[in-house]
Amino acid sequence: MAIEDYRGDVEMCCRCSACKHIPLQMVKGVEHSYACPSIARYNFHAYSGGGRLLIAKEMLNSGFKYTDKLLDIVYNCQMCGGCDTSCKYAMDMEVLEPIYEFRIRCVETGHTNPALDKVINSLRKQGTMVPGAKGKRAAWAQGMGIKDATKEKVDVYYHVGCLTSYDKDYQKLARATAKILKKAGVDFGIGYENESCCGGRAFQMGYKDDFLKQAKKNMDMLKKAGVKTLVTGCADGYQAFKVLYDKYNLKGDLEVLHITEYLARLIKEGKLKLNKKVNLTVTYHDPCYLGRLGEPWIHWQGKKIPGYKFVFDPPKVYRRGTYGVYEPPREVLKSVPGVKLFEMDRIKEYAWCCGAGGGVNESNPEFAKWTATERIEEAESTGAEAIVTACPWCEKNFNQAIKESGSDLKVYDIVEIVEKAI
Amino acid sequence: MALSKDVYKEFEDVVGAENISDDPAIKDAYRSPDLTVILPGSTEEVAAVIKLCNKHKIPYKAQSTGWMLFAPTYDFIFMDLRRMNRIIEINEKNMYAVVEPYVISAELMAELFKRGMICNVKGSGSTCTALAMSGHGHMGMTTSTGDRNDLATEWVTDEGEIVRLGTLGASDEWFCGDGPGPSLRGVYRGGGVITRQATKVYHWPGPSEYPLEGLSPRYTLSKKPSEMNMMVRYFSFPSIGKLIEAELKIGESEIAFELMGFCPSMVSSNITTSNEEDFETLEQFTREVQGPGFMVIIVGNFDEDFAYKKKVLAQIIKETDGESLKAVEDPDAEATLLFQCTRVCASIRETFRAGGMFSSMMVQGQRYDNHVRWLEEAAVLKRELIEKGLVIADDGQQFGWGEEGGHLGHTEIFCRYNPYDEKSSKAVQEWLAKVGKRALDGCFAVPSMGILPVDVIGKRASNYHIWFGKLKEAFDPNGVGENTGFSYVGADTSGVHTSIYQKPEKASPKK
Repeated sequence: MAIEDYRGDVEMCCRCSACKHIPLQMVKGVEHSYACPSIARYNFHAYSGGGRLLIAKEMLNSGFKYTDKLLDIVYNCQMCGGCDTSCKYAMDMEVLEPIYEFRIRCVETGHTNPALDKVINSLRKQGTMVPGAKGKRAAWAQGMGIKDATKEKVDVYYHVGCLTSYDKDYQKLARATAKILKKAGVDFGIGYENESCCGGRAFQMGYKDDFLKQAKKNMDMLKKAGVKTLVTGCADGYQAFKVLYDKYNLKGDLEVLHITEYLARLIKEGKLKLNKKVNLTVTYHDPCYLGRLGEPWIHWQGKKIPGYKFVFDPPKVYRRGTYGVYEPPREVLKSVPGVKLFEMDRIKEYAWCCGAGGGVNESNPEFAKWTATERIEEAESTGAEAIVTACPWCEKNFNQAIKESGSDLKVYDIVEIVEKAI
Repeated sequence: MALSKDVYKEFEDVVGAENISDDPAIKDAYRSPDLTVILPGSTEEVAAVIKLCNKHKIPYKAQSTGWMLFAPTYDFIFMDLRRMNRIIEINEKNMYAVVEPYVISAELMAELFKRGMICNVKGSGSTCTALAMSGHGHMGMTTSTGDRNDLATEWVTDEGEIVRLGTLGASDEWFCGDGPGPSLRGVYRGGGVITRQATKVYHWPGPSEYPLEGLSPRYTLSKKPSEMNMMVRYFSFPSIGKLIEAELKIGESEIAFELMGFCPSMVSSNITTSNEEDFETLEQFTREVQGPGFMVIIVGNFDEDFAYKKKVLAQIIKETDGESLKAVEDPDAEATLLFQCTRVCASIRETFRAGGMFSSMMVQGQRYDNHVRWLEEAAVLKRELIEKGLVIADDGQQFGWGEEGGHLGHTEIFCRYNPYDEKSSKAVQEWLAKVGKRALDGCFAVPSMGILPVDVIGKRASNYHIWFGKLKEAFDPNGVGENTGFSYVGADTSGVHTSIYQKPEKASPKK
């Protein structure tokens, strides 16, 4: 698909501004009513989902004019999909897909962002989205006795992800995950130095070819190793393996689970017992790529039926954020003795982004921090002591915002809470 | 508009570099190649921008939340008021709320619900501004029309003067729009920029927050509406006469929180989550209804009140041969209509989803007699378009609702279509012109929404456009302010740009 294939969708935008806000029924007051960080921060309509579609429409009609401002608009978007879900509450049209395609067109024509180029160069050279990564990918696993899934067959392949592998501050998440899986008696392994970046964040940044290279590389490795079930603790990785690989017909029969889904399953089956009390009031942050964008891909091909209605043959089923991963993380948290969960105003399919998506944490750290600070304040308003998330990129971005704001809020990944409870 | 660097810098000095742009990408999102977009953040900044417009004789237009794709067709300074999004005050004792232009109705309604209150929400829906102003809403039976709700107002004139109207002109109070300070109620709709306004609020007997559950796009309530002393029903009638009789009786008995003359297509749009499901449901509804209908929402203050209102409603429906649409009695459908239509999140599904656009003619004032008769004619003409496959098939139905207990009303008919289908688009515009002219020629109503040139309408309405033209000259001597499509098009305002929607070929000669 290319941006041209979404002409009908971009023309459907009626400028109702639903894309700016969370679904209107869920608005609980003048605070926390926005879904889109970009319009909330930059104010010009061009930065909203609808504004982006209007730009696409004009440029499809009269040619692409790549100004600095256009690129500022294009790259100051976390690709969080908040606009898409809010629009599709009422409308039958694609919003995020044409926004993706517009960004891909920018990259294909050489209109890239220098900070993102740097990240992609790291991917091309080192197979990781963490520029300047040093040492071995699986250094964190040293002495843990974890199986090498590329050498021996395992029931579950644990895909660790770039940030958790290379960032020393977040390797704790990999260790916690391994510890929990061992405790539950799961036969699992990792790819050690054969693991490579999922490519998901490269796709978010518009580098589709790099994503495809990574996807093919990963699937070749997984097929060779005979992996049937993949578990990851990274929301971006989860969405890449489960949704994007499927979109490009690369996923095959691979079962892809986020660690929260897998832990919820283990708890239900009685294989994982959470016995230790963790006295903590928490609020849960739904990562965009686990929640609304973690919804399975729907394969559909069809044509608009000519005429006045926006209907297709065969009928098009839209991804509206309904079937993201929302309950498993909450079930896990509720299973931890002593943990009390308080919900924020914006949750599940209309959750506010942490700010780290779409490469914004690299291309505009100030905007990433601003977005995270908004979420931190929302979390604090619940009275919780800690914000718990299920993605290392979210955790890192929250920590950075908290460091500068001086907030007392604690930040945890869900595996850290579970680790405390076993 | 390509401003010179020096002039651009003067505007930039008012709002800051981050809040002004004439970049093509920014302008594309506002659908005009000739704008400079400015984001003022306060009344003072609005006034300063307008003063600069006067100094340099540059036209300007301001927009609050905006709705639909009205593309400007000539160059000017475009003020997007998105940064002015604060609720200034909610005064529970005196029953008003003060808002800036970019507070949306969903935000204000959510705050008011918590306090047992509601405000008028315009029919365009709760993504739109919570400023009172014109615009009728579903809850008009309880909250009346938009223009009955505005109280004290802070207004920046087309010369950049900040004027405080109503009680605000004599004190710091917002409770009255007409005094003891100045009242320019009939004037400020025609120009300048409203920067803050008090709107009336009303008693809300419902919950402080709806107990919503489920995931988008299919939210529902965890409680049945009846458990909250609320009920939604859709009734159809054997004739328009019976429908009107029922509406009047319901209005007189003061039992309805909301009476919305939905046609079946609007009910089906609201309770369905895709076009395919919508069209299928509409077919079913069309088979089941016996004729024109409306939706009623009853809200009880307490159990006995709820029981009384239901009983009176049942009696009225019996007397007028109404029939309840069974599908709406289903608690899930009832719940969806309840929160959709009281929070007014309804408009997008029912207007844009099917084809991408709608064009409408509405008449406001008395709902009964003349207006409905005109509508019947308009519906006949609409059905011709449906038969030709040019607009969405909804049996040509009209809709509307009673306001102020039925003393006033709003009546409307629209065509939903694909604006990029040339045949559909042309046919709808011709239909609008035809039904507008018929409304005027038949003395049924004064058409609105820019359907006919205002000088054509003005001649039939005491030449009001001429008087507005004179006011325009007095308030806007440099001709920089917007001439709304409603007030000034075609009036004698030499040298003044006359519409955001339509640029005249040349200025009218001065009389």
